[in-house]
Amino acid sequence: MTAKLKDSLYPVLFALGFLILWELAVRLFAIPMYLLPAPTQVVSAIDGSLWSHTLVTLGESLTGFILANILGLVTAIIFVHSKPIEKGMFPLAIALKTTPLVALAPLLVVWLGTGYSSKVIASMLICFFPILVNSVKGLKAIEYEAWELFSTYKGTKREIFWKLRLPTSLPYIFSALKISTSLAIVGAIVGEFVGANKGLGYVVLVSSYHMDTPVMFSAIIASALCGLLLFWVVGLLEKKFIFWTRSDDL
Amino acid sequence: MTTAIREQTDSAAVRSPGNREIMLSLRDCSLSFGNVPVLNRVSLDVYRNEFISILGPSGCGKSTTLRLMLRLLSPEGGGEVTYASPDLSLGMVFQKPVLMPWLSALQNVMLPLELGEKKKFSKKEAREKAESALRLVGLQDFLNHYPHQLSGGMQQRAAIARALAADPTVLLMDEPFGALDELTREKLNFELLRLWESPETSLSSIVMVTHSIQESVLLSNRVVMMSPRPAGVTDIIPVPLPSPREAGMEELPEFHQTVKELRKRVKHL
Repeated sequence: MTAKLKDSLYPVLFALGFLILWELAVRLFAIPMYLLPAPTQVVSAIDGSLWSHTLVTLGESLTGFILANILGLVTAIIFVHSKPIEKGMFPLAIALKTTPLVALAPLLVVWLGTGYSSKVIASMLICFFPILVNSVKGLKAIEYEAWELFSTYKGTKREIFWKLRLPTSLPYIFSALKISTSLAIVGAIVGEFVGANKGLGYVVLVSSYHMDTPVMFSAIIASALCGLLLFWVVGLLEKKFIFWTRSDDL
Repeated sequence: MTTAIREQTDSAAVRSPGNREIMLSLRDCSLSFGNVPVLNRVSLDVYRNEFISILGPSGCGKSTTLRLMLRLLSPEGGGEVTYASPDLSLGMVFQKPVLMPWLSALQNVMLPLELGEKKKFSKKEAREKAESALRLVGLQDFLNHYPHQLSGGMQQRAAIARALAADPTVLLMDEPFGALDELTREKLNFELLRLWESPETSLSSIVMVTHSIQESVLLSNRVVMMSPRPAGVTDIIPVPLPSPREAGMEELPEFHQTVKELRKRVKHL
């Protein structure tokens, strides 16, 4: 336990050291605030509205994240069970993936307005591909002998799916979830850039118009923390669900 | 001399060479994967109360033969796989343990008991059967351990328990101990014989694929030799060792003689 505590202490120490250096550098070289505000200036720029903007962005990205993953997993299940659908639709999925989200975002706002839904869809679009690809791969990753075992004992298709394919694919699914936690935030913020009146992307954009760099910094940091939070939650779930493999990677 | 010992063996057990009951038989089974012929008219009878080893060069189709017996594959061109009764119960032990890493040892052994359209056992019955199967292979203290917490030998024992739990009459084994170290392998070989002879199991016949000539002689009543691909049965050689088999029988002249005989035939393949 103490070793674990020590391990988590290191990043905290490094972060503190970095912040102190930053503060000192800004003061020592008298860097103007609109270029680089000191950490203390950023902190004093934080007010209650940042919190509500953060909740908006977090809500949009989380909704997009969850919907995309459900939809992606279901699509993957259909792909695995039907070769023609997989062959016909995979190129479309790749085309969707290669279309830059930034190019699509204005269209989404035109279609869906400046509210919640255009951001959710932007977030979904960007999260959809990783889960689709990984689930397809994971659902197909069963050992041949395991399939033979199920067949020997007259396992039904349904049993093969629930008791073999799905658990086998869990590690693949979780690695997609981890990738898309940060993507989900990107999607929501890009959506907010294009047209919104709340959310962290909106704050970043507006503060850039006013050269209010401390506020901009606070919103950037808040968005990074949102990503970290999602990543951390998914990591916890992964540890709980996939106890049989050791994943030390990020 | 060979025949004398063989008769002695047969009278010791309840087996008469004349009217032996066939559990399972392959007739003229040929099979090819794509354009590659794998099996060429394989015929083999598996009798009640016998231990058969299938010996042959690697990649010759020994595993495929087991899969034919399991009816996971079907023979081509008039070949036939017949069972003594339609509800003949077969068990399979693979080269790898093939345990589900997300299930405990107990849950892994219960798995086959709970598969299929018609539920063969209630949850409670399945649990009891699984527990007793794990006890048979000496894993009673590891019921709730997960595969990654078990050694290779223990994993393979759990796989054997899984096969035994479903009360198979015929047990098929595909190099079950091939991936294990020599010491563990020897130990498990004798444990397997003990299980086969034990009245606690329903086991009547075992068919085991192996690479090891010594192992095949030590364990089995008959050794089936297969030729390189497309494989056919070239020879079936009876092993004139008394049963029950025990450690130390490797010293008997009959053992050496049979091993020598098999070596000679392997060279001719």
